[in-house]
Amino acid sequence: MKFKAWLKTILFYEILIGMKATLMHLVHYKPITLQYPHEKRTLPDSYRGMLSLLRYDDGTEKCVGCDLCEAACPSRVIKVVSAEVPGEPTKRYAKEYYMDMTRCLFCGLCVDACPVDALGMTREYEWAVYDKRLLQLNKQQLLAIGDRSFPVREKRLELQHPNVAFFNVAFKHLPPKHT
Amino acid sequence: MAEVGLKLAFSVAQIAVVMGIVLLTVMFLTLAERKVLGWMQDRMGPMEVGPYGVLQPIADGLKLFFKEDIVPAGANKFLFTLAPILALVPALIGFAVVPFGPNRTVELFGYQFQPFVISDINIGILYILAFTSIGAYGIILGGWASNSKYSLLGGLRSAAQVISYELNVGLAIVGVLLLAGSLSLVKITEAQAGGFWHWYIFAFPFPQVFAFVVYVISAVAETNRVPFDLPEAESELVAGFFTEYSGMRFAFFFLAEYANMILVSCIAAALFLGGWNAPYPGTLLPENLAWVEGVVWFAVKVYFFLFLFFWLRATLPRLRYDQLMRFGWKVMLPIALGNILVTAIAAYFFPKG
Repeated sequence: MKFKAWLKTILFYEILIGMKATLMHLVHYKPITLQYPHEKRTLPDSYRGMLSLLRYDDGTEKCVGCDLCEAACPSRVIKVVSAEVPGEPTKRYAKEYYMDMTRCLFCGLCVDACPVDALGMTREYEWAVYDKRLLQLNKQQLLAIGDRSFPVREKRLELQHPNVAFFNVAFKHLPPKHT
Repeated sequence: MAEVGLKLAFSVAQIAVVMGIVLLTVMFLTLAERKVLGWMQDRMGPMEVGPYGVLQPIADGLKLFFKEDIVPAGANKFLFTLAPILALVPALIGFAVVPFGPNRTVELFGYQFQPFVISDINIGILYILAFTSIGAYGIILGGWASNSKYSLLGGLRSAAQVISYELNVGLAIVGVLLLAGSLSLVKITEAQAGGFWHWYIFAFPFPQVFAFVVYVISAVAETNRVPFDLPEAESELVAGFFTEYSGMRFAFFFLAEYANMILVSCIAAALFLGGWNAPYPGTLLPENLAWVEGVVWFAVKVYFFLFLFFWLRATLPRLRYDQLMRFGWKVMLPIALGNILVTAIAAYFFPKG
């Protein structure tokens, strides 16, 4: 037994095993590299990327200005300025909507908190900029991101808050209001 | 006068060709090392510049050439400038005695020339050992003149390491010299002609296998390569002795390291693996094209050693400092000395010819 161990030492047995391992990797060359700017990974549907504001399929904004996203946000990314819809005292909307994406950690709590499914997480992740101020987005920019990421606007009523009566959602199956 | 001028012109042309080939090989090696290392680690290596990254060495060279040349405050300017030159010149100058192909003479305008060796001096191997020792000065002086603790530590380590392992290189070679009875690399290689069983690693009176293993390990240590890269240990000393170097001065150290790799590979091929001799007796190609076969066999052997360098780098972790010293003095040195003793006895009982 001792002789065997001695023989292994002088023949560099362990080193030869290691060198065989590296050589096998060279022979069976299967790189796991993804050449990033040229090749991109297909992302899962539930990918939590850039945030966006969504619209109904008739083009009206979903957001009702309830401030729940602002309350849910752990890093104070969102700032909502809520206002009445002019001429409709029962309806509210977000007059201004700001997101400071420098602080966002993409937890998705705002999307979960939204009762009308007005916030969506897109699959965009290439948002590196040279100027930090470019990451402070306003409502128009967020709506534009939503428009290009969700060209087909579905109602997705199953995602909406069960107590929709509180929120003035534009239901198509209801007769339009006469104002 | 005409003879001197002709000889000079031929020598200059020969030197230019050899330097060109060596520097081209260095360029190729920087790419090959990164590629081979990448493939062994399931990566791709450089892929951006040119198809499959083949133009990467040119991009690297351009980058190094245009980088700012910084001399740190408090550095000894003269030695700081001298050190990279002192590292590079001995590495390149050693190629003067390496035979790249069969020993034959060409008659040109009525004079005799040897096309495949720049100068066949009778102390060839001693000359190479002497000049590679001077290369250590470049590293030590570069480490000291940088006025940086990392550089100094790298230089100190390099001093101790190169001195310990050069001893082993010298002693490992002695066995071959005893068998060959000459210090000229051309004569040593010629003595190994006629099949691989005549190569000194397998030669009859006493095979130099132990000397070969000692030589290869010591050569890796002498060129400061993984697993003996303590002078430039990235994880401990930033970059070791060339921490403060930038631009072309850094490129000189870089070139010196790779030129040294090629040089020790050439010596290993010439001394132990029969240099330009094919592993079968004679040559396959006709007489006037036999030199092509010789040069190709020499290149194959050299590139095998260079691949071994990459392979070791991909496999082995760095040694600890005390392990390095213990291995050099307590393991390698006794093996080399024992090899000399046994080879001397064998050479006495089975004299040549």
